[in-house]
Order: sequence, then C-alpha cells, then structure tokens
Amino acid sequence: MTSTVEEKTAQPQAEPLVRLTDAGKSYGSIIALSGITLEVSAGEVTCVLGDNGAGKSTLIKIIAGLHQPSVGTYEVEGTKVSFSSPREALERGIATVYQDLAVVPLMPVWRNFFLGNEVRKGPRMDIPFMKKTCKSELLDMGIDLRDVEQPIGTLSGGERQCVAISRAVYFGAKVLILDEPTAALGVKQSGVVLKYILQARERGLGVIFITHNPHHAYPVGDRFLLLNRGKSIGYYAKEQITRDELTGLMAGGGELEQLSKELESMGGAAAEAGHELGEEAHDLGVSQGRDPDE
Amino acid sequence: MFRSRNKALAAALIAISAVVLAACSSTGGKKATEQASAPSAGKANTPHYTIAMITHAAPGDTFWDIIRAGATAAAAKDNITLKYSNNDDPTQQATLIQDAINSKVNGIAVTDPAPAAICPTIKKAVAAGIPVVMFNAGVSNWQQCGGMEYFGQDETIAGVAAGKRLAAAGAKHVLCVLQAQGQVQLEARCAGVKQGLGSEGTMTKLYVNGTDNSAMLSGMTSKLTQDKSIDAVITLGAPVALVAIQAISQANSSAKLYTFDTNAAEIAKIKSGAVQWAVDQQPYLQGYESVDSLWLYLTNANVLGGGQTVLTGPSFIDASNVAKVAQYAERGTR
Amino acid sequence: MTQATAQPELTPPPVRDERVRRGSTLARLFARPEMGALTGAIVIYIFFFAIAPAFRNAGSFSTVLYFSSTYGLLATPIALLMIGGEFDLSAGVAVTSAALTAALFSYEFTLNIWVGVVVALAVALAVGFLNGWIVVRTGIPSFLVTLGTFFMLQGLNLALTQTITNQVASPDISSLQGFSSAQKVFASSFTIGGVNFKISIVYWIVFMLIATWILLRTHIGNWIFSVGGSAPSARAVGVPVAKMKIGLFMAVGLMAWFAGMNLLFQFNTIQSGQGVGNEFVYIIAAVVGGCLLTGGYGSAVGAAIGAFIFGMTNQGIVLAGWNPDWFTFFEGALLLGAILLNTFIRRRAEAAK
Repeated sequence: MTSTVEEKTAQPQAEPLVRLTDAGKSYGSIIALSGITLEVSAGEVTCVLGDNGAGKSTLIKIIAGLHQPSVGTYEVEGTKVSFSSPREALERGIATVYQDLAVVPLMPVWRNFFLGNEVRKGPRMDIPFMKKTCKSELLDMGIDLRDVEQPIGTLSGGERQCVAISRAVYFGAKVLILDEPTAALGVKQSGVVLKYILQARERGLGVIFITHNPHHAYPVGDRFLLLNRGKSIGYYAKEQITRDELTGLMAGGGELEQLSKELESMGGAAAEAGHELGEEAHDLGVSQGRDPDE
Repeated sequence: MFRSRNKALAAALIAISAVVLAACSSTGGKKATEQASAPSAGKANTPHYTIAMITHAAPGDTFWDIIRAGATAAAAKDNITLKYSNNDDPTQQATLIQDAINSKVNGIAVTDPAPAAICPTIKKAVAAGIPVVMFNAGVSNWQQCGGMEYFGQDETIAGVAAGKRLAAAGAKHVLCVLQAQGQVQLEARCAGVKQGLGSEGTMTKLYVNGTDNSAMLSGMTSKLTQDKSIDAVITLGAPVALVAIQAISQANSSAKLYTFDTNAAEIAKIKSGAVQWAVDQQPYLQGYESVDSLWLYLTNANVLGGGQTVLTGPSFIDASNVAKVAQYAERGTR
Repeated sequence: MTQATAQPELTPPPVRDERVRRGSTLARLFARPEMGALTGAIVIYIFFFAIAPAFRNAGSFSTVLYFSSTYGLLATPIALLMIGGEFDLSAGVAVTSAALTAALFSYEFTLNIWVGVVVALAVALAVGFLNGWIVVRTGIPSFLVTLGTFFMLQGLNLALTQTITNQVASPDISSLQGFSSAQKVFASSFTIGGVNFKISIVYWIVFMLIATWILLRTHIGNWIFSVGGSAPSARAVGVPVAKMKIGLFMAVGLMAWFAGMNLLFQFNTIQSGQGVGNEFVYIIAAVVGGCLLTGGYGSAVGAAIGAFIFGMTNQGIVLAGWNPDWFTFFEGALLLGAILLNTFIRRRAEAAK
C-alpha cells in the first residue's frame, strides 16, 4: 500500500530542505538502493525505518555527501546538488550524527564540540569562549558536565549522543541526520534523545531520523519511509498510518499476507496454516482490508 | 600576447638564476682540489682478472677510502676488476666473502677483525681454490685461516711503540678512545699502549659510537670532564681525532691529542699542532699491495713475505715530517 | 510533545554533581601527559647527581643538554607526528641526507654554502612530502612506508657520497664562502657564567615551545589530536586529514634539515653512515614524554623531557664511570624504568581525578 504524500496547503509553498527523487546507488553489480523518494522540510521529522541490511547506511551516506547517487536526483532547497565530500554537505547545512558519533574519544569534550569549527582569535583559538559555550550549550540540553576538559570517551553513550547533536545544532545545521541514535541506549537515555529531536524540530530544523525501532519513530515522526532490501516498501505521512500498521509493515506484514495466500492455494494442512497466518496479518493491520474469515 | 609574456618571464627567471648562481659561487670547493690526482702507472697487458676486496669498514670511516684508493690504483694498473664490499658486522662480512666465493672470483683480499666469525669462510674460499690475501686486521692468526700473505701493521707492536712515545712525552694518564666494540685490532692497540706506557702511566679506555659525531663529542667531553687527571688522549681513527679536538676544548682539558691513522683533514691538524702525531700504517700501501700481490700470484705464481707478515707500519707522522706527507694526504692517498 | 526549554537569562549557579568527589588540583596536574616524564627526569637527575660527582658541575650539564638537544630537535616533530597517528622511521637518516646534500651540492659545484643549505631544505621537505603522500594515498601503515624510505635514504647516503666524492664522508666545506655565517646561524655557542653552551640547545627549546603552542593553542593542534585519535571522525567533521598528515611528515623533514645543518656546521664533515638507529631514540623520547603509540595523545614538552632523560642517562653513565661494556644495558634499563614510572603516575592521577 503506497500513496503519494499530499502537499501541506496550510502555509505558503517552501521547498523541502532535502529531497531525494527516485534515487538509487549501485556498487559495481550490487544494487544497494533503488527507487528511493523522500523529503524533509523545516520543522519536520522524517523517519527512515528498516532492519539491518535494508540500505539505511547507504542512504545516509548519500544524503551526508559521502557518496553520490548512481541514479535519481538529490535536491537541497529546490536546487540539484552533487556533493563530493561531507564538508560540502556540511556547508549547505546538512549535518550528520553517526552511530559511532564522529567524536574522538581521547579528546576533551570542548575540543570535540568545536572540532573543525574552532573559534579563532588571530592565529590562536579562543579557548575560554569555546569552553564556556560548550558548557552552556550542553547545560541547555540538561547535561551538566563538571569539567568540559574531560575526555569525551568518559561520557555515557546518551551523553555523547547529545553532545554530538548539540554540536550539529549549534553550528547551524538546517537538516539533522541522526543515524540510529537510540540503538545502544537505555530507556531513559533514549527518552532524552527523543526529547531533543523534538526540540530541534521546534527550532525549525529538519530531522531525518533513522532507526529500526518503530516505537521510537512513531511519536516523533511526521513522515515515514520504510526500507527493505534496498527498496522502499512504503512512504507515508503520519495521518496515513497507525503505529500498529507501521510496526506490522516493519515486521514484514506485507510478506506475511503474501505467504498466507500462497499457502491457502496449496490446500490441505498448508491451507490451514495459511489461514491462521492470514488472520495474524489482519490483526497486525497490514492486509488489504480483506478479512480471511469472510 | 600571453605567450610572449610567459616567454619573457621564463627568460628573466633563467637569467636571474644564472646571476644568482654565479654570485653564489665560491672559493675552495671541488675546483680547488681537482688538480691533485692519484698516481697512475699505465696498464699491464696481462689477462683480465676479477678480485673481491671485503673489509669490515664501518660506514663513514674515511680510513677505508685510502685503502680503497690504493686498491683501485693497483687494479687499474693490473687490468683487474675490483669488486669492493664491506660490513662492520662480522657475520655479514662472512656472508659477503661467501658471495665472492659463489661468484667465482679469481682472488680475494680480506680483513679479519673477528676471527671466530670470518676465518671459517676464508678457509672455504681457499678450499674452493681461490687465493686469499689478508690485510689490516687479524695479524695474529692469518696463517691458520689459510691466507697466503698479510699486509698490515702488528697492532700490538704499533700500540707499544705509541705507548713508549707517550711515556717519553710525559703522559701520566692516557685515555684510549675506541670507536667500536668487539674489534680485535682496536683492542690490541689500546693493550699495546698500556704495555708501552709500562709503569710510567695508566691507561683508561672509552668506547664511543664511531658513526655518530655528536655522540662521540658528548661522550669524550663528558669523560674529560669527569676525569681531570687525563693528560693525553689517543684516538684510533682520524675522524675520531677531529671530533676529539672539539671535545678537549669543550671540556677545558689540557690533554694533548695523539692518534692512529690519518686523513687529509687530520694531517692539516698535525701541521697546526692540534694533533701531536699520528701512527701511520700506510693504508694506501695495504690496499695497493693486497691487489697487486694477488696479480703477481695469478700471473707469475709469486708469493710475498715468506709466510710472515709484511709490515706496512708503524711509522709516525709528526711535525718533523708532516710537510712532505701533507700534499699526498690532500689527494686522499696518505 | 514537550516545549523547547526557554533559554535561561542568567547562567544557572553551577550545581555540583553529587556523584563526583572533588578531585585535587594536584591529581589533575599529574594526569597531564608530561608530568610522569618530568618526575622520571627529576628522579634520574637526583640519581646521577648522587653517584657521579662529575655530573654536578655546569660544564657537564652543558654537555648533557647538548647531547639531549641533538635528539630533542627531532623528538619534537616526531611527537607531533605520533600524536597525529603516524610513525617516521626515516627521520634518523634524513638528518644525514640533508647535511650531505648541503655539503656535496655546494662542494661539487663550488657554490656558496648557503645555496646548498637551501637545496637541502627543498630535498628534506620533499622527502617528508613523499612519506606523507604515500601513506595517505595507499593507506599502507606509516611504519612500513617509512621503513622503506629509511632503507632507501640510508643507501642513497652511502652510494651517492661514494659515487660523487669517492669517499665515505662529505668533503671539508670550511673553505667555501658563506661557511662562517652559516656556522654562526646553525652551530655557534655562547658562554654563560664561564660555561660554554651550544646554540642547538636554544633552538631545541624554542622549537619545542612553538610546537607546544601550536598543539595546545591553535586549531591546527586540535586537528592533529583528532587525526591521530580517530581519523574517520575527523574526516567526518571536515578536518582535512590527508593534508594534516602530509604536513606533519613535512614538519619532520623540516627539523631533519635543521638538525642536519646543525651537525654539518658543527663538525664540518658528515659521515655518510650516520644517523642509523636514531629514529628509535626519537620515538622513545616521545613515548617517555607521554605519547601513545596508537596516537591521539601526547605532548611536545614531554618529548623534550624524554630527550633530556635520554641525554642524562647516556652521559650520566659515562660520567659515573660505569663499566662501558654494560653501557647499553644500563641505558635500556633506565629508559624502561622511566616509561614505567610515567605510566604508573598517569594511571594513579587518572584514578584520583
């Protein structure tokens, strides 16, 4: 069940910050991604869901500027772009927070915060300013570090995520790509990160939130793109799908329904199993509206 | 318009570089020494032979340049191709000798600073029918190794002679500086000096790294600072002597400097009085004779020495005879 | 949906986290990479001061400083390179290459020695560039790449000297024009209170201070730490990793040139086999000074202290009159002791912070 996304008619037309149209990526004979369409506008969160191997990391790399799409177009604020390095994407305001966080564990928090964007006073750095700013930015997010001089490797996973996100936001990111930020976190830490995603949305950023957890995605997302084996199996706005449907699709609901039909047509014991499977698929809410008991 | 501008620019750059280089040219340098050249004596009409010379030269020791100059001169005269190789590690030197055996050279000239490692391979060469002549190091047992002749200095004799002269000069505490560890001929020299000093004085040894000038400078300076009773320093190589001059002045020591072996710069220092005298083993002669004696053997079955060492030293170069030697030293043959 | 937190007008009063014990300032100080090295240096100094009377006077100290400076000049850029995550095993022979280039070039063409000095600089920087470029282009570990250039330079030093001059040492250049001025710049000495000090000591300290300033106070230093700590992370935030690494290798080349000039104008002739083995002393000095072999952490001050420890150990043994056969054994034992002390102190300080 696919549907086109309806334009928001409430406010004046603004180009989406990031839009991929029918994008795909091949490495030699391997097709990693194909036929991907997604967009994110300012003040919106687009969730990209999919299990391992679905092609999420390839998609991130394309948006972040590490790779270029083999087919399709990539537009930023309506203009076609072709990034040859992450630095270029960064300059256009597209910031990526990776799963492994792009932090240097041995370096102090404030050095990590300003890495690549150091504030200079002539030939040297303005260290007092950077330390003060780092501390206050983190405080805004609810992290009170006793010493921003401590190596960032000594922070907990959630704290590190927040530092990375805070860094991206501080440096004027317009689009934030978060690569599985909650994957390795506990419940409370995940809550903090989700809260911060919403804060970023409030500030007018666009967020692309990649995850394999629909329970994290649904509360914060405005659009949802589901990936499976490099292809899109669905692209919905929030109004068009419920959380259960989302979960079901991710659990492979569409395939379950397909399987149940095949089993039923085989007859005998298989048909019975197929019937049960069909019921389950219906319970998950992913069948095409057909109740097998009818 | 562009092209002519670029051409003009290029021409200007070339002109400027030429002027700069011309202005930067200098006195001294290679041109000054180009006139001096080693003696040459025509070429024999005997058959062509290949001789391998394998020494224990440490990289950078100028002493061996003089040996090589002699060997090259003899080779040129005798219609011989000289293959020179060296390694200051005895096991690797033995391997080089084995390489020469494998390439079936007509003769081998070799030094033996570490008999235990090198003798066996020399014996193999002799067993393979290759005549072997030895020189410079290994004077005490070259016959057992199978060498036909030996050209060099008996380091003990030289050391004793040096020690006696030191005693005569009034030295009470001699510092003997060795530029490598584990080499028999260096040890023999210091032992000889001690023997020659006898009861007149004492001898202390100092080991330094002969390939590292600053380490030598620091090591000698520290030693002279530590022991103010040292009134004579004797080095066993010319490059070491040159560094010792600086060390003595830095340590504010009043020790006098003596040395074994020579090179051009050091001879100049003998002239100027910074070095008192040098014990000369005539390395040019060693290199020359090693190659020439093999030629005589190959072309006429002659053997020099009657089974005994052919001595090339010691002779002393001091203020009284340095003037004569100096001109030859400058061209690298003394 | 939660509201964004309002920006506080005033900075909230610093709230101490109740989970944290107040660490002592002393512990924080000792966690710095160079403090362990400094402690080691003080211990070794007191040790030799006690057992070697000759160690105590200023003249000996000047010799120790001179000896340390010949290693310290290279230990500084090697430390920066190691913080940046790479090794350079060709640094030792590169010093000799630079010196030989200057001497041979000027001598052969009978030019003012300063021309040779400039040519040597170009050659040294080119070697550094080559090292860095091969490492970043091929991704081969720098340990292996520079091992290759080490052998190549060693061979070139010997072979070219022999071919050009028929000798194993560079010719005497004191007769060339410009020699005395070059000597004044690169290898002069000065007297303080009747004791002679060589200028390489001053250069060593000055370059170390410059390197420390760059490392700790500029964005370049920040980039050096990041490139060594995690190159992928640095790349991801836009740090030009390849340029940084090549630059670090060229910095080693620059100091190899300087040390080579110092050597050349001090001794006026260079033995073509010199320099082999020194590359490990530079690395040891850097490690003793707190540099991690894996990169991302270290200190230029620490490397200078490491070179100083090496100098004290080396000369102290001579001044104490110990049996020369045992020399290298003592040297190794003392260095190992210094590294262990360094590590022990840093771990204690980390735990106490």
